[in-house]
Amino acid sequence: MKVRSFKKNAIGYAFISPWLLGFLVFTAGPFLVSVYLSFTRYDIVSAPVWVGWANYHKLLTGDPLFWKSLGITFKYALVAVPVGIVAGVGLALLLNLEIRGISVYRTVFYVPSIVPVVATSVIFVWLLNPQIGLVNGLLRWFGIVGPAWLQDTKWAFWSLVFMSLWGVGGSMIIYLAGLKDIPAALYEAAIIDGAGAWQRTRHVTLPMITPVIFFNLIMGVIGAFQYFTQAYVMTLGGPEDSTHFYALYLFNRAWRYLDMGYASAMAWILFVIVMVFTILIFRTHKRWVHYGN
Amino acid sequence: METDSARHGKRRGAIAVWASFILAVIGIVIIFALPGPPPRKYPDREPVRMWHMWTAEWKDVVEKICDRFNESQTKYELIPLSAPGAAADSKFLLSVAGGDPPDVMAQWNQVIPKWADSNLLLPLDSLMTPEEWTVFQQKAYPAVKKIGMYKGHLYGVTTGLNIWACYCRLDYLREAGLDAERFPDTLEGLVEWGQLLHKFDKAGHLTRMGFMPTWFAMYAPAFGGGFYDWTNGRILINTPENLNALSYLVEQRKKLGFENVVRFESGLTIGIGNADWPFIRGSYAIVVDGQWRVEQLAKYAPEVEYVTKPIPPPKGGVPHFGWINGNFMIIPKGAKQAAGAWEFIKFWSGLSEPERAAEFYTWGGWLPLNADIANAPIYREYVRRHPQFQTFLDVLPSENVQPTPPVPFQVYLWDRITQADDSAMRGTLAPQEALARLEREIAREIASRKEFGYAD
Repeated sequence: MKVRSFKKNAIGYAFISPWLLGFLVFTAGPFLVSVYLSFTRYDIVSAPVWVGWANYHKLLTGDPLFWKSLGITFKYALVAVPVGIVAGVGLALLLNLEIRGISVYRTVFYVPSIVPVVATSVIFVWLLNPQIGLVNGLLRWFGIVGPAWLQDTKWAFWSLVFMSLWGVGGSMIIYLAGLKDIPAALYEAAIIDGAGAWQRTRHVTLPMITPVIFFNLIMGVIGAFQYFTQAYVMTLGGPEDSTHFYALYLFNRAWRYLDMGYASAMAWILFVIVMVFTILIFRTHKRWVHYGN
Repeated sequence: METDSARHGKRRGAIAVWASFILAVIGIVIIFALPGPPPRKYPDREPVRMWHMWTAEWKDVVEKICDRFNESQTKYELIPLSAPGAAADSKFLLSVAGGDPPDVMAQWNQVIPKWADSNLLLPLDSLMTPEEWTVFQQKAYPAVKKIGMYKGHLYGVTTGLNIWACYCRLDYLREAGLDAERFPDTLEGLVEWGQLLHKFDKAGHLTRMGFMPTWFAMYAPAFGGGFYDWTNGRILINTPENLNALSYLVEQRKKLGFENVVRFESGLTIGIGNADWPFIRGSYAIVVDGQWRVEQLAKYAPEVEYVTKPIPPPKGGVPHFGWINGNFMIIPKGAKQAAGAWEFIKFWSGLSEPERAAEFYTWGGWLPLNADIANAPIYREYVRRHPQFQTFLDVLPSENVQPTPPVPFQVYLWDRITQADDSAMRGTLAPQEALARLEREIAREIASRKEFGYAD
């Protein structure tokens, strides 16, 4: 019996061995090595030199840009994630209506989320151009002089938050699947009890999709802390460091300043932050996530 | 009992599966049918692999130079590879770390001090004969040495320098009653011209910039400042000269309004190599830009009447000043064919035969590394065809054109200088505050490097 079971498992492992090998070599290995590197001075080509806690000490006590980039990233997570959830749920509710041509609407709202981020970023650079961009062009129609968006220290960060809504179709489709999964009997019972449309949304729909919201919240928080591509393509951290996100600073330290040890320490601090937030969200989930039982 | 619709459904499913399979097979065939790298032209010679970052029309120029080298050779074959974009540096670093670097790389990023400090580059003087070293030291323009040398060794030989000067639209000057022949000899005079040339819409928004000095690193040397004491090898930040320079630039921007200028500039396209340069489109009457625009103007906008002039110094300032950078060749440690790479560097740069190399410089509209090349008949013919190029050649030998200081944290220093410039020019920080912050940041970086055991 045991031999047969072992054989069966071995065959399974053999099938997934290419992935396992890739995971060990390209993910788990570098992950563990980066712990060591975070305690070294390392520029890729020379051998790492052990510096103890110096990288962490410098990060926490002697690097204002570290704190600034961390603050910007926190702010982004705090704003863009809830905004993305509200927009995603709202859109899914609208696209859950049984109206003519709904599949077309669903496709239209989903498609932007599969456009490569770099392409989207380049398009938004043009859309947000203060002189010839579409956004300010539309505002001009209403007699409003739009801001300089990405070139304005006060607006650059909010431009990126605004742009994040462009990709909301990805989470919208998951919310929609969640909405489709709600048993019709719950709505029927609510109607019999005299619940109106708002009450049904408030007391049936939203509680029933909380597992999906929970999932998107976790993914959103992780994504927000790793926010990089848009800032790299659109602003390079400017103007005046107003979009200097943590991951961008980490990249600069690693590849522009060749400070891999320091960047590894930054990566580990980021990992701890993401883990803490994920655990905190998990801790709270019993209070607000309903699994329908 | 199977219904008709179920049968149709099954058939549709089968068709979809087969269609996907056929598409996948076609896709795989196409991928494998794509042409691989071309076979080597001279397989019996020693291969010299060069990486460069040029693309499009520039790549063709580079390949033409490589072909010329190969035709001139019996021993080496130069094999160029374009590795464009920001990824080129990381690819290079990983190739060195992996023990399989190219033999030579053409660069323009600010990498020499850092890479040399990390023991990544081969000192080119170790490959030079004493005669070659003497000729280089005697003849190379000061900026060439400043860009290529680090701690007394030569790590990069320039194959094209970038210098900035004023481009003036003659039609706009005429319109304002100004004569290019009586071009101001002071920066203050040029700013006054600029005020006559600005244009605004009804709402007071700037629609054409007459002239406004901008870019701290460009103007600091004009005020006797700069970021490096080249004699004593010391970084300079918060000096009275630099403060004067930054304060002057901020004052000029204040006159036009910070917001107005930001709005105007952000509506412009400023891609190097583009035909839609705002100067061509009439957004500037006088603008400071690099020598490569001469060639572009001839190619894309021959109808634009313009002249180039050196940026005039401020009253009491130094002439022929500015920031300079360039394209240069480096050889990584671990290069398998360093001797062949050095042959190619000499060939392209003109260290071996200036007359022959002069032609290459004309293909790219590049500024040469010494006067021998600049005075070669073929280069003089190029300048005769593009007379506005002469301005840049006049500025080139000046000691007052300065590259970014050659310190191992050069990129960080550059980033923070740019940041201080930006904060001051936007009016977020007063010039003295911006410089004080910059000085603190650099002092902190130096202190931390010492703590980490770096020599400097």
